Amino acid sequence: MLQLQNIIFTVPASDSGKEPPAGQTIINDVSFTFEPGGFYAITGPNGSGKTTIAKLIMGINEPTSGRIMFNGNDITSLPINERSNAGIVYGFQHPARFKGTTFRDLLSISLGSDDEEKLVNIISRVGVCSMDFLDKPVDSKLSGGEIKKIELATVIARNPKVAIYDEPDTGIDLWTIGPMVDLLKREQKENNTTTIVVSHNKTFLEAADTLLLIKKGKIAYTGDLAGAMPMLEDLSVCTFDELCQGEDDAQCYR
Amino acid sequence: MLNAIDKKVLKEVADLEGIPKGAYNIRKNGKLEGREVSANINIETNEKGDGIVIDIKPGTVNESVHIPVILSQAGLHDVVYNTFIIGEGSDVTIVAGCGIHCGSNESEGHSGIHEFYIKAGAKITYVEKHIAIGEGSGKRILNPTTKVFMEENAQAQMELTQLGGVDEAKRANEATIGAGSVLLITERVMTEKEQSAESKNEITLAGTDSKTNIVSRSVIKGSSSQDFYVNLTAKARCYGHIECDAIIMDNGINQTIPALRALHPDAELTHEASIGKIANDQLMKLMSLGLDYDQAVNRIIQGFLR
Ligand SMILES: Nc1ncnc2c1ncn2[C@@H]1O[C@H](COP(=O)(O)OP(=O)(O)OP(=O)(O)O)[C@@H](O)[C@H]1O
Ligand SMILES: [Mg+2]
Repeated sequence: MLQLQNIIFTVPASDSGKEPPAGQTIINDVSFTFEPGGFYAITGPNGSGKTTIAKLIMGINEPTSGRIMFNGNDITSLPINERSNAGIVYGFQHPARFKGTTFRDLLSISLGSDDEEKLVNIISRVGVCSMDFLDKPVDSKLSGGEIKKIELATVIARNPKVAIYDEPDTGIDLWTIGPMVDLLKREQKENNTTTIVVSHNKTFLEAADTLLLIKKGKIAYTGDLAGAMPMLEDLSVCTFDELCQGEDDAQCYR
Repeated sequence: MLNAIDKKVLKEVADLEGIPKGAYNIRKNGKLEGREVSANINIETNEKGDGIVIDIKPGTVNESVHIPVILSQAGLHDVVYNTFIIGEGSDVTIVAGCGIHCGSNESEGHSGIHEFYIKAGAKITYVEKHIAIGEGSGKRILNPTTKVFMEENAQAQMELTQLGGVDEAKRANEATIGAGSVLLITERVMTEKEQSAESKNEITLAGTDSKTNIVSRSVIKGSSSQDFYVNLTAKARCYGHIECDAIIMDNGINQTIPALRALHPDAELTHEASIGKIANDQLMKLMSLGLDYDQAVNRIIQGFLR
Protein backbone atom coordinates (compact mmCIF):
# COMPACT_ATOMS: atom_id res chain seq x y z
CA MET A 1 0.00 0.00 0.00
CA LEU A 2 1.34 3.38 -1.04
CA GLN A 3 -0.07 6.38 0.73
CA LEU A 4 0.33 10.07 0.02
CA GLN A 5 -0.59 12.06 3.12
CA ASN A 6 -1.23 15.80 2.74
CA ILE A 7 1.58 16.27 0.25
CA ILE A 8 2.52 19.84 -0.51
CA PHE A 9 5.30 20.71 -2.94
CA THR A 10 6.43 24.26 -3.42
CA VAL A 11 9.21 25.33 -5.76
CA PRO A 12 12.46 25.06 -3.83
CA ALA A 13 14.60 28.21 -3.78
CA SER A 14 17.51 26.39 -5.44
CA ASP A 15 15.44 25.39 -8.51
CA SER A 16 13.89 28.70 -9.24
CA GLY A 17 15.19 31.54 -11.32
CA LYS A 18 12.96 34.57 -11.22
CA GLU A 19 9.90 32.76 -12.63
CA PRO A 20 8.16 30.98 -11.06
CA PRO A 21 9.19 32.51 -7.76
CA ALA A 22 10.43 30.17 -5.05
CA GLY A 23 7.56 29.23 -2.82
CA GLN A 24 5.01 28.79 -5.61
CA THR A 25 2.84 25.80 -4.79
CA ILE A 26 2.85 23.07 -7.45
CA ILE A 27 1.18 20.29 -5.46
CA ASN A 28 -1.38 21.50 -3.00
CA ASP A 29 -2.37 19.08 -0.26
CA VAL A 30 -2.69 15.80 -2.10
CA SER A 31 -3.73 12.69 -0.19
CA PHE A 32 -4.40 9.34 -1.81
CA THR A 33 -3.96 5.63 -1.18
CA PHE A 34 -2.83 3.28 -3.94
CA GLU A 35 -3.90 -0.27 -3.12
CA PRO A 36 -1.57 -3.18 -3.92
CA GLY A 37 -2.19 -4.60 -7.39
CA GLY A 38 -4.46 -1.75 -8.46
CA PHE A 39 -4.35 -0.13 -11.89
CA TYR A 40 -4.50 3.65 -11.68
CA ALA A 41 -4.52 6.29 -14.37
CA ILE A 42 -3.56 9.88 -13.60
CA THR A 43 -4.73 12.49 -16.06
CA GLY A 44 -5.22 16.23 -16.20
CA PRO A 45 -4.19 19.28 -18.19
CA ASN A 46 -0.57 20.09 -19.06
CA GLY A 47 1.21 21.63 -16.13
CA SER A 48 -1.33 20.42 -13.57
CA GLY A 49 1.27 18.52 -11.54
CA LYS A 50 1.09 14.88 -12.71
CA THR A 51 4.82 14.42 -13.26
CA THR A 52 5.57 16.25 -10.05
CA ILE A 53 3.43 13.74 -8.12
CA ALA A 54 5.20 10.82 -9.82
CA LYS A 55 8.60 12.30 -8.95
CA LEU A 56 7.51 12.84 -5.36
CA ILE A 57 6.67 9.14 -5.13
CA MET A 58 10.04 8.15 -6.64
CA GLY A 59 11.96 10.53 -4.35
CA ILE A 60 13.24 12.76 -7.15
CA ASN A 61 11.25 15.63 -5.64
CA GLU A 62 11.11 16.01 -1.89
CA PRO A 63 7.77 17.17 -0.47
CA THR A 64 7.73 20.50 1.33
CA SER A 65 5.36 18.92 3.81
CA GLY A 66 3.33 15.75 4.17
CA ARG A 67 4.28 12.09 4.38
CA ILE A 68 4.65 9.17 2.01
CA MET A 69 4.06 5.72 3.50
CA PHE A 70 4.90 2.46 1.72
CA ASN A 71 3.81 -0.84 3.24
CA GLY A 72 3.75 0.70 6.70
CA ASN A 73 7.14 2.46 6.42
CA ASP A 74 7.65 6.19 6.21
CA ILE A 75 9.67 6.67 3.01
CA THR A 76 9.32 10.47 2.84
CA SER A 77 13.06 11.07 3.10
CA LEU A 78 14.33 7.82 1.61
CA PRO A 79 16.80 8.37 -1.29
CA ILE A 80 15.78 7.39 -4.83
CA ASN A 81 17.85 4.20 -5.01
CA GLU A 82 16.52 2.91 -1.70
CA ARG A 83 12.96 3.48 -2.85
CA SER A 84 13.83 1.61 -6.00
CA ASN A 85 15.21 -1.26 -3.93
CA ALA A 86 12.01 -1.19 -1.89
CA GLY A 87 10.10 -1.82 -5.13
CA ILE A 88 9.07 1.58 -6.50
CA VAL A 89 10.18 2.35 -10.06
CA TYR A 90 9.38 5.33 -12.28
CA GLY A 91 9.48 5.48 -16.07
CA PHE A 92 10.31 9.06 -16.99
CA GLN A 93 8.16 11.25 -19.22
CA HIS A 94 11.37 12.53 -20.82
CA PRO A 95 13.87 9.70 -20.46
CA ALA A 96 17.52 10.62 -19.99
CA ARG A 97 19.69 10.40 -23.06
CA PHE A 98 23.18 9.14 -22.33
CA LYS A 99 26.43 9.11 -24.25
CA GLY A 100 27.86 5.65 -24.82
CA THR A 101 25.58 3.85 -22.34
CA THR A 102 23.55 1.21 -24.18
CA PHE A 103 20.14 -0.37 -23.68
CA ARG A 104 22.02 -3.50 -22.58
CA ASP A 105 23.71 -1.48 -19.82
CA LEU A 106 20.43 -0.07 -18.54
CA LEU A 107 18.66 -3.40 -18.71
CA SER A 108 21.49 -5.18 -16.86
CA ILE A 109 21.46 -2.55 -14.12
CA SER A 110 17.72 -2.90 -13.81
CA LEU A 111 17.83 -6.71 -13.75
CA GLY A 112 20.92 -6.83 -11.54
CA SER A 113 22.48 -9.24 -14.02
CA ASP A 114 24.06 -9.09 -17.46
CA ASP A 115 23.24 -12.70 -18.23
CA GLU A 116 22.39 -12.86 -21.95
CA GLU A 117 19.54 -15.30 -21.49
CA LYS A 118 17.88 -13.14 -18.84
CA LEU A 119 18.21 -10.07 -21.03
CA VAL A 120 16.65 -11.86 -23.97
CA ASN A 121 13.86 -13.14 -21.72
CA ILE A 122 12.98 -9.70 -20.51
CA ILE A 123 12.95 -8.29 -24.04
CA SER A 124 10.58 -10.97 -25.21
CA ARG A 125 8.43 -10.46 -22.10
CA VAL A 126 8.19 -6.75 -22.85
CA GLY A 127 7.58 -7.48 -26.50
CA VAL A 128 7.59 -3.89 -27.72
CA CYS A 129 11.40 -3.62 -28.03
CA SER A 130 13.16 -5.47 -30.81
CA MET A 131 16.23 -7.60 -29.98
CA ASP A 132 18.50 -5.41 -32.05
CA PHE A 133 17.84 -2.51 -29.68
CA LEU A 134 20.06 -4.27 -27.17
CA ASP A 135 23.38 -2.78 -28.20
CA LYS A 136 22.06 0.59 -29.23
CA PRO A 137 23.40 3.54 -27.30
CA VAL A 138 20.59 5.26 -25.39
CA ASP A 139 21.53 8.65 -26.81
CA SER A 140 20.07 11.56 -28.72
CA LYS A 141 19.96 9.53 -31.94
CA LEU A 142 17.10 7.33 -30.72
CA SER A 143 13.66 8.32 -31.93
CA GLY A 144 11.05 9.54 -29.47
CA GLY A 145 9.12 6.26 -29.65
CA GLU A 146 12.21 4.07 -29.37
CA ILE A 147 13.44 5.71 -26.20
CA LYS A 148 9.99 5.39 -24.60
CA LYS A 149 9.94 1.67 -25.35
CA ILE A 150 13.37 1.30 -23.79
CA GLU A 151 12.28 3.28 -20.76
CA LEU A 152 9.28 1.01 -20.29
CA ALA A 153 11.44 -2.11 -20.56
CA THR A 154 13.88 -0.88 -17.91
CA VAL A 155 10.98 -0.38 -15.48
CA ILE A 156 9.47 -3.82 -16.10
CA ALA A 157 12.89 -5.51 -15.86
CA ARG A 158 13.07 -4.49 -12.21
CA ASN A 159 9.89 -6.41 -11.34
CA PRO A 160 8.59 -3.48 -9.33
CA LYS A 161 5.90 -3.65 -6.67
CA VAL A 162 4.80 -0.17 -7.73
CA ALA A 163 5.40 0.86 -11.34
CA ILE A 164 4.75 4.44 -12.42
CA TYR A 165 4.74 5.14 -16.14
CA ASP A 166 4.74 8.79 -17.14
CA GLU A 167 3.00 9.11 -20.52
CA PRO A 168 4.37 5.78 -21.83
CA ASP A 169 2.49 6.26 -25.10
CA THR A 170 4.21 9.50 -26.20
CA GLY A 171 5.59 8.95 -29.69
CA ILE A 172 4.44 5.32 -29.74
CA ASP A 173 2.90 4.17 -33.01
CA LEU A 174 -0.79 3.22 -33.19
CA TRP A 175 0.02 -0.48 -33.59
CA THR A 176 1.95 -0.64 -30.32
CA ILE A 177 -0.45 1.14 -27.95
CA GLY A 178 -2.82 -1.85 -27.67
CA PRO A 179 -0.03 -4.37 -26.94
CA MET A 180 1.47 -1.91 -24.46
CA VAL A 181 -1.76 -1.68 -22.49
CA ASP A 182 -2.05 -5.50 -22.58
CA LEU A 183 1.51 -5.78 -21.31
CA LEU A 184 0.91 -3.48 -18.34
CA LYS A 185 -2.32 -5.36 -17.57
CA ARG A 186 -0.49 -8.69 -17.71
CA GLU A 187 2.29 -7.42 -15.44
CA GLN A 188 -0.35 -6.13 -13.03
CA LYS A 189 -2.21 -9.48 -12.95
CA GLU A 190 0.76 -11.87 -12.93
CA ASN A 191 2.98 -9.99 -10.48
CA ASN A 192 0.33 -8.04 -8.60
CA THR A 193 2.15 -4.85 -9.61
CA THR A 194 0.52 -1.65 -8.45
CA THR A 195 0.39 0.16 -11.78
CA ILE A 196 0.14 3.92 -12.10
CA VAL A 197 -0.02 5.38 -15.58
CA VAL A 198 0.09 9.10 -16.26
CA SER A 199 -1.68 9.57 -19.57
CA HIS A 200 -3.93 11.63 -21.77
CA ASN A 201 -4.70 8.57 -23.88
CA LYS A 202 -8.21 7.12 -23.66
CA THR A 203 -6.94 3.56 -24.07
CA PHE A 204 -5.00 3.82 -20.82
CA LEU A 205 -7.79 5.67 -19.03
CA GLU A 206 -10.16 2.84 -20.00
CA ALA A 207 -7.73 0.20 -18.80
CA ALA A 208 -7.51 1.64 -15.29
CA ASP A 209 -9.66 0.56 -12.33
CA THR A 210 -9.37 4.02 -10.84
CA LEU A 211 -8.79 7.37 -12.43
CA LEU A 212 -7.27 10.42 -10.73
CA LEU A 213 -7.89 13.77 -12.32
CA ILE A 214 -5.34 16.41 -11.35
CA LYS A 215 -6.13 20.08 -11.74
CA LYS A 216 -3.87 22.90 -10.56
CA GLY A 217 -1.97 20.70 -8.12
CA LYS A 218 -5.01 19.14 -6.53
CA ILE A 219 -6.93 15.93 -7.03
CA ALA A 220 -10.13 17.13 -8.69
CA TYR A 221 -11.70 13.70 -9.07
CA THR A 222 -11.10 10.06 -8.21
CA GLY A 223 -13.24 7.19 -9.39
CA ASP A 224 -14.10 5.41 -12.59
CA LEU A 225 -13.80 6.81 -16.09
CA ALA A 226 -17.55 7.14 -16.63
CA GLY A 227 -17.82 9.42 -13.63
CA ALA A 228 -14.92 11.54 -14.88
CA MET A 229 -16.28 12.01 -18.38
CA PRO A 230 -18.26 15.20 -17.73
CA MET A 231 -15.19 16.87 -16.20
CA LEU A 232 -12.85 15.58 -18.92
CA GLU A 233 -15.17 16.83 -21.64
CA ASP A 234 -15.38 20.15 -19.91
CA LEU A 235 -11.57 20.35 -19.84
CA SER A 236 -11.27 19.27 -23.44
CA VAL A 237 -13.66 21.90 -24.75
CA CYS A 238 -11.46 24.87 -24.17
CA THR A 239 -8.61 25.98 -21.99
CA PHE A 240 -9.46 29.67 -22.34
CA ASP A 241 -12.51 29.35 -20.10
CA GLU A 242 -12.10 32.75 -18.50
CA LEU A 243 -11.81 34.62 -21.82
CA CYS A 244 -14.15 32.55 -23.97
CA GLN A 245 -17.32 34.05 -25.30
CA GLY A 246 -18.55 30.97 -27.15
CA GLU A 247 -17.21 29.06 -30.09
CA ASP A 248 -19.39 30.76 -32.69
CA ASP A 249 -18.26 34.13 -31.54
CA ALA A 250 -15.51 35.92 -33.46
CA GLN A 251 -13.56 36.22 -30.22
CA CYS A 252 -12.83 32.52 -29.79
CA TYR A 253 -9.22 32.29 -28.53
CA ARG A 254 -8.60 28.70 -29.59
CA MET B 1 62.56 -11.95 -21.52
CA LEU B 2 59.29 -10.47 -20.42
CA ASN B 3 58.83 -10.33 -16.67
CA ALA B 4 55.59 -10.24 -14.71
CA ILE B 5 55.40 -6.43 -14.81
CA ASP B 6 56.00 -6.38 -18.56
CA LYS B 7 53.23 -8.90 -19.03
CA LYS B 8 50.87 -6.81 -16.96
CA VAL B 9 51.72 -3.73 -19.04
CA LEU B 10 51.22 -5.68 -22.27
CA LYS B 11 47.87 -6.90 -21.09
CA GLU B 12 46.76 -3.33 -20.34
CA VAL B 13 48.00 -1.61 -23.48
CA ALA B 14 47.48 -4.29 -26.08
CA ASP B 15 45.10 -6.83 -24.53
CA LEU B 16 47.86 -9.38 -24.92
CA GLU B 17 48.27 -12.39 -22.67
CA GLY B 18 51.80 -12.97 -23.95
CA ILE B 19 53.52 -12.86 -27.30
CA PRO B 20 50.97 -11.87 -29.96
CA LYS B 21 50.03 -13.84 -33.06
CA GLY B 22 51.06 -12.40 -36.42
CA ALA B 23 53.51 -9.57 -36.92
CA TYR B 24 54.74 -7.69 -33.89
CA ASN B 25 57.51 -5.52 -32.54
CA ILE B 26 57.96 -5.15 -28.81
CA ARG B 27 60.14 -2.32 -27.60
CA LYS B 28 61.29 -2.27 -23.99
CA ASN B 29 63.26 0.55 -22.38
CA GLY B 30 64.40 1.91 -25.73
CA LYS B 31 65.55 -1.45 -27.10
CA LEU B 32 64.11 -4.16 -29.29
CA GLU B 33 62.66 -6.92 -27.16
CA GLY B 34 61.14 -9.09 -29.86
CA ARG B 35 59.98 -8.96 -33.48
CA GLU B 36 58.09 -11.15 -35.86
CA VAL B 37 57.25 -10.41 -39.46
CA SER B 38 54.70 -12.14 -41.67
CA ALA B 39 54.54 -12.90 -45.37
CA ASN B 40 52.69 -9.64 -45.99
CA ILE B 41 53.89 -7.44 -43.18
CA ASN B 42 57.52 -6.46 -42.91
CA ILE B 43 59.06 -4.67 -39.94
CA GLU B 44 62.56 -3.20 -40.16
CA THR B 45 64.63 -0.84 -38.10
CA ASN B 46 64.83 2.48 -39.94
CA GLU B 47 68.04 3.88 -41.45
CA LYS B 48 68.80 6.18 -38.56
CA GLY B 49 68.18 3.41 -36.09
CA ASP B 50 65.71 5.50 -34.08
CA GLY B 51 62.55 3.59 -34.96
CA ILE B 52 60.93 1.09 -37.23
CA VAL B 53 59.33 0.96 -40.66
CA ILE B 54 56.25 -1.20 -40.96
CA ASP B 55 55.52 -2.08 -44.53
CA ILE B 56 52.21 -3.67 -45.36
CA LYS B 57 51.97 -5.20 -48.82
CA PRO B 58 49.15 -4.10 -51.11
CA GLY B 59 46.08 -6.28 -50.78
CA THR B 60 46.88 -7.61 -47.29
CA VAL B 61 43.59 -8.28 -45.56
CA ASN B 62 42.52 -9.42 -42.09
CA GLU B 63 45.98 -9.18 -40.59
CA SER B 64 47.15 -7.33 -37.53
CA VAL B 65 50.36 -5.80 -36.21
CA HIS B 66 51.14 -5.24 -32.55
CA ILE B 67 53.80 -2.70 -31.64
CA PRO B 68 53.65 -2.16 -27.89
CA VAL B 69 56.23 -0.17 -25.95
CA ILE B 70 57.17 -0.95 -22.37
CA LEU B 71 58.98 1.51 -20.17
CA SER B 72 60.20 0.58 -16.71
CA GLN B 73 63.64 2.13 -16.42
CA ALA B 74 63.95 5.06 -14.02
CA GLY B 75 64.96 8.33 -15.67
CA LEU B 76 64.57 7.06 -19.23
CA HIS B 77 62.96 9.32 -21.84
CA ASP B 78 62.51 7.22 -24.91
CA VAL B 79 61.91 8.79 -28.32
CA VAL B 80 60.93 6.66 -31.28
CA TYR B 81 60.09 7.37 -34.94
CA ASN B 82 57.83 4.80 -36.54
CA THR B 83 56.67 4.80 -40.15
CA PHE B 84 53.73 2.81 -41.44
CA ILE B 85 53.22 2.20 -45.12
CA ILE B 86 49.81 0.72 -45.74
CA GLY B 87 49.66 -0.78 -49.22
CA GLU B 88 46.83 -0.26 -51.69
CA GLY B 89 43.61 -2.09 -50.99
CA SER B 90 44.79 -3.63 -47.72
CA ASP B 91 42.65 -3.95 -44.60
CA VAL B 92 44.61 -4.25 -41.36
CA THR B 93 44.50 -3.55 -37.64
CA ILE B 94 47.43 -1.92 -35.91
CA VAL B 95 47.61 -2.08 -32.14
CA ALA B 96 50.09 0.32 -30.63
CA GLY B 97 50.34 1.66 -27.13
CA CYS B 98 52.73 2.46 -24.40
CA GLY B 99 52.76 1.30 -20.84
CA ILE B 100 54.93 2.93 -18.23
CA HIS B 101 55.76 1.18 -15.02
CA CYS B 102 57.29 3.64 -12.65
CA GLY B 103 58.98 2.23 -9.57
CA SER B 104 61.10 5.17 -8.42
CA ASN B 105 60.97 8.92 -7.89
CA GLU B 106 62.63 9.61 -11.24
CA SER B 107 60.47 10.55 -14.17
CA GLU B 108 59.95 8.30 -17.18
CA GLY B 109 58.69 9.29 -20.56
CA HIS B 110 57.94 8.12 -24.06
CA SER B 111 57.47 10.12 -27.23
CA GLY B 112 56.25 8.09 -30.14
CA ILE B 113 56.19 9.83 -33.49
CA HIS B 114 54.04 7.78 -35.83
CA GLU B 115 53.68 8.51 -39.53
CA PHE B 116 51.08 6.75 -41.61
CA TYR B 117 51.09 6.62 -45.38
CA ILE B 118 47.75 5.13 -46.30
CA LYS B 119 47.61 4.23 -49.97
CA ALA B 120 44.58 4.30 -52.24
CA GLY B 121 41.70 2.10 -51.15
CA ALA B 122 43.44 0.89 -47.99
CA LYS B 123 41.62 0.53 -44.71
CA ILE B 124 43.18 0.60 -41.27
CA THR B 125 42.04 0.46 -37.70
CA TYR B 126 44.61 1.93 -35.37
CA VAL B 127 44.22 1.31 -31.67
CA GLU B 128 46.50 3.12 -29.27
CA LYS B 129 46.28 2.87 -25.51
CA HIS B 130 48.41 4.67 -22.99
CA ILE B 131 48.68 3.64 -19.40
CA ALA B 132 50.98 4.19 -16.47
CA ILE B 133 51.22 2.12 -13.33
CA GLY B 134 53.64 1.49 -10.47
CA GLU B 135 54.24 2.72 -6.94
CA GLY B 136 57.02 5.19 -7.83
CA SER B 137 56.45 8.91 -7.41
CA GLY B 138 58.31 9.90 -10.60
CA LYS B 139 56.39 11.74 -13.28
CA ARG B 140 55.04 9.60 -16.14
CA ILE B 141 55.10 11.52 -19.37
CA LEU B 142 53.68 10.51 -22.74
CA ASN B 143 53.91 12.74 -25.79
CA PRO B 144 52.54 10.97 -28.84
CA THR B 145 52.55 12.48 -32.30
CA THR B 146 50.52 11.03 -35.13
CA LYS B 147 50.82 12.15 -38.74
CA VAL B 148 48.45 10.67 -41.27
CA PHE B 149 48.60 11.03 -45.05
CA MET B 150 45.67 9.48 -46.83
CA GLU B 151 45.53 8.97 -50.62
CA GLU B 152 42.18 8.45 -52.37
CA ASN B 153 39.31 6.30 -51.13
CA ALA B 154 41.15 5.15 -48.04
CA GLN B 155 39.61 4.66 -44.62
CA ALA B 156 41.22 5.07 -41.24
CA GLN B 157 39.69 4.63 -37.85
CA MET B 158 41.87 5.74 -34.96
CA GLU B 159 41.08 5.01 -31.36
CA LEU B 160 43.32 6.89 -28.98
CA THR B 161 42.87 6.12 -25.32
CA GLN B 162 44.51 7.28 -22.12
CA LEU B 163 42.67 6.28 -19.00
CA GLY B 164 44.54 7.43 -15.95
CA GLY B 165 48.02 7.17 -14.50
CA VAL B 166 49.75 9.52 -16.94
CA ASP B 167 50.94 12.74 -15.29
CA GLU B 168 51.66 14.74 -18.41
CA ALA B 169 50.50 14.14 -21.94
CA LYS B 170 50.99 16.33 -24.97
CA ARG B 171 49.44 14.85 -28.02
CA ALA B 172 49.68 16.14 -31.57
CA ASN B 173 47.61 14.70 -34.39
CA GLU B 174 47.98 15.81 -37.97
CA ALA B 175 46.13 14.47 -40.95
CA THR B 176 45.69 15.20 -44.65
CA ILE B 177 42.73 13.45 -46.15
CA GLY B 178 42.63 12.71 -49.89
CA ALA B 179 39.67 12.49 -52.26
CA GLY B 180 36.93 10.09 -51.16
CA SER B 181 38.86 9.13 -48.02
CA VAL B 182 37.38 8.90 -44.55
CA LEU B 183 39.16 9.53 -41.26
CA LEU B 184 37.47 8.79 -37.95
CA ILE B 185 39.28 9.75 -34.77
CA THR B 186 38.01 8.96 -31.29
CA GLU B 187 40.03 10.19 -28.39
CA ARG B 188 39.21 9.19 -24.83
CA VAL B 189 41.11 10.73 -21.97
CA MET B 190 40.63 10.46 -18.23
CA THR B 191 42.81 12.52 -15.95
CA GLU B 192 42.86 12.73 -12.17
CA LYS B 193 44.87 14.19 -9.28
CA GLU B 194 47.25 16.87 -10.61
CA GLN B 195 47.56 15.38 -14.10
CA SER B 196 47.41 17.39 -17.29
CA ALA B 197 46.66 16.38 -20.85
CA GLU B 198 46.74 18.40 -24.01
CA SER B 199 45.66 17.35 -27.46
CA LYS B 200 46.32 19.44 -30.57
CA ASN B 201 44.76 18.38 -33.83
CA GLU B 202 45.41 19.78 -37.29
CA ILE B 203 43.16 18.05 -39.76
CA THR B 204 42.95 18.98 -43.44
CA LEU B 205 40.22 17.79 -45.75
CA ALA B 206 42.23 18.08 -48.95
CA GLY B 207 40.43 16.01 -51.58
CA THR B 208 36.95 16.11 -53.08
CA ASP B 209 34.40 14.20 -51.01
CA SER B 210 36.81 13.56 -48.19
CA LYS B 211 35.18 13.07 -44.81
CA THR B 212 36.18 13.20 -41.18
CA ASN B 213 34.55 12.80 -37.80
CA ILE B 214 36.56 13.76 -34.75
CA VAL B 215 35.19 12.71 -31.40
CA SER B 216 36.74 13.64 -28.09
CA ARG B 217 35.52 12.35 -24.76
CA SER B 218 37.18 13.77 -21.66
CA VAL B 219 36.69 13.02 -18.01
CA ILE B 220 38.50 15.42 -15.72
CA LYS B 221 38.72 14.36 -12.09
CA GLY B 222 40.54 15.70 -9.03
CA SER B 223 42.50 18.87 -9.78
CA SER B 224 43.54 17.73 -13.23
CA SER B 225 43.25 19.68 -16.45
CA GLN B 226 42.67 18.91 -20.11
CA ASP B 227 42.95 21.09 -23.18
CA PHE B 228 41.61 20.02 -26.52
CA TYR B 229 42.23 21.90 -29.75
CA VAL B 230 41.10 21.02 -33.27
CA ASN B 231 41.68 23.02 -36.38
CA LEU B 232 39.66 21.52 -39.17
CA THR B 233 40.50 22.97 -42.58
CA ALA B 234 38.56 22.22 -45.74
CA LYS B 235 40.15 22.68 -49.14
CA ALA B 236 37.60 20.88 -51.29
CA ARG B 237 33.99 19.79 -51.38
CA CYS B 238 33.98 17.70 -48.23
CA TYR B 239 32.28 16.94 -44.97
CA GLY B 240 33.72 17.31 -41.49
CA HIS B 241 32.34 17.10 -37.99
CA ILE B 242 33.88 17.65 -34.56
CA GLU B 243 32.23 16.46 -31.39
CA CYS B 244 33.87 17.22 -28.05
CA ASP B 245 32.33 16.36 -24.72
CA ALA B 246 33.98 16.94 -21.40
CA ILE B 247 32.69 15.86 -18.02
CA ILE B 248 34.17 17.77 -15.13
CA MET B 249 34.24 16.18 -11.72
CA ASP B 250 35.68 17.59 -8.52
CA ASN B 251 37.88 20.61 -9.37
CA GLY B 252 38.92 19.72 -12.90
CA ILE B 253 39.61 22.35 -15.54
CA ASN B 254 38.88 22.05 -19.24
CA GLN B 255 39.41 24.06 -22.37
CA THR B 256 37.87 22.87 -25.62
CA ILE B 257 38.62 24.85 -28.76
CA PRO B 258 37.20 23.53 -32.00
CA ALA B 259 37.88 25.68 -35.05
CA LEU B 260 36.45 25.30 -38.52
CA ARG B 261 38.04 26.78 -41.61
CA ALA B 262 36.40 26.45 -45.01
CA LEU B 263 38.63 27.37 -47.95
CA HIS B 264 36.21 25.96 -50.47
CA PRO B 265 32.59 27.02 -51.09
CA ASP B 266 31.24 23.44 -50.98
CA ALA B 267 32.79 22.53 -47.66
CA GLU B 268 30.38 21.40 -44.99
CA LEU B 269 31.81 21.66 -41.50
CA THR B 270 30.05 21.35 -38.15
CA HIS B 271 31.00 21.10 -34.51
CA GLU B 272 29.38 20.36 -31.19
CA ALA B 273 31.12 20.95 -27.92
CA SER B 274 29.96 20.62 -24.36
CA ILE B 275 31.60 20.92 -20.97
CA GLY B 276 29.75 20.21 -17.78
CA LYS B 277 29.08 18.01 -14.81
CA ILE B 278 27.40 14.64 -15.12
CA ALA B 279 23.84 15.25 -16.26
CA ASN B 280 21.35 15.10 -13.46
CA ASP B 281 18.69 13.24 -15.44
CA GLN B 282 21.18 10.45 -16.17
CA LEU B 283 22.00 10.14 -12.47
CA MET B 284 18.31 10.12 -11.52
CA LYS B 285 17.59 7.39 -14.05
CA LEU B 286 20.32 5.08 -12.81
CA MET B 287 19.44 5.73 -9.17
CA SER B 288 15.81 4.91 -9.95
CA LEU B 289 17.13 1.54 -11.14
CA GLY B 290 18.72 0.95 -7.73
CA LEU B 291 22.28 2.28 -8.03
CA ASP B 292 23.61 4.57 -5.33
CA TYR B 293 25.11 7.92 -6.32
CA ASP B 294 28.72 6.71 -6.69
CA GLN B 295 27.75 3.60 -8.63
CA ALA B 296 25.61 5.72 -10.94
CA VAL B 297 28.51 8.12 -11.58
CA ASN B 298 30.82 5.21 -12.38
CA ARG B 299 28.43 3.62 -14.84
CA ILE B 300 27.86 6.91 -16.65
CA ILE B 301 31.61 7.54 -16.96
CA GLN B 302 32.22 3.95 -18.08
CA GLY B 303 29.70 4.29 -20.89
CA PHE B 304 30.98 7.74 -21.83
CA LEU B 305 34.57 6.54 -22.23
CA ARG B 306 33.68 3.35 -24.03
N1 LIG C 1 11.29 22.20 -9.72
C1 LIG C 1 10.43 23.02 -10.29
N2 LIG C 1 10.66 24.36 -10.33
C2 LIG C 1 9.79 25.21 -10.89
N3 LIG C 1 8.66 24.82 -11.45
C3 LIG C 1 8.34 23.53 -11.46
C4 LIG C 1 9.20 22.55 -10.88
N4 LIG C 1 8.66 21.34 -11.06
C5 LIG C 1 7.49 21.55 -11.70
N5 LIG C 1 7.29 22.86 -11.93
C6 LIG C 1 6.09 23.46 -12.56
O1 LIG C 1 4.98 22.81 -12.00
C7 LIG C 1 3.95 22.65 -12.94
C8 LIG C 1 3.55 21.19 -13.01
O2 LIG C 1 4.53 20.48 -13.71
P1 LIG C 1 4.39 18.94 -14.09
O3 LIG C 1 5.57 18.56 -14.86
O4 LIG C 1 4.10 18.17 -12.85
O5 LIG C 1 3.08 18.96 -15.02
P2 LIG C 1 2.34 17.76 -15.75
O6 LIG C 1 0.98 17.69 -15.17
O7 LIG C 1 3.15 16.55 -15.72
O8 LIG C 1 2.24 18.34 -17.23
P3 LIG C 1 2.35 17.60 -18.68
O9 LIG C 1 1.00 17.04 -18.98
O10 LIG C 1 2.67 18.71 -19.61
O11 LIG C 1 3.41 16.59 -18.57
C9 LIG C 1 4.46 23.23 -14.22
O12 LIG C 1 3.96 24.53 -14.36
C10 LIG C 1 5.97 23.24 -14.04
O13 LIG C 1 6.54 24.26 -14.77
MG1 LIG D 1 4.21 15.49 -17.11
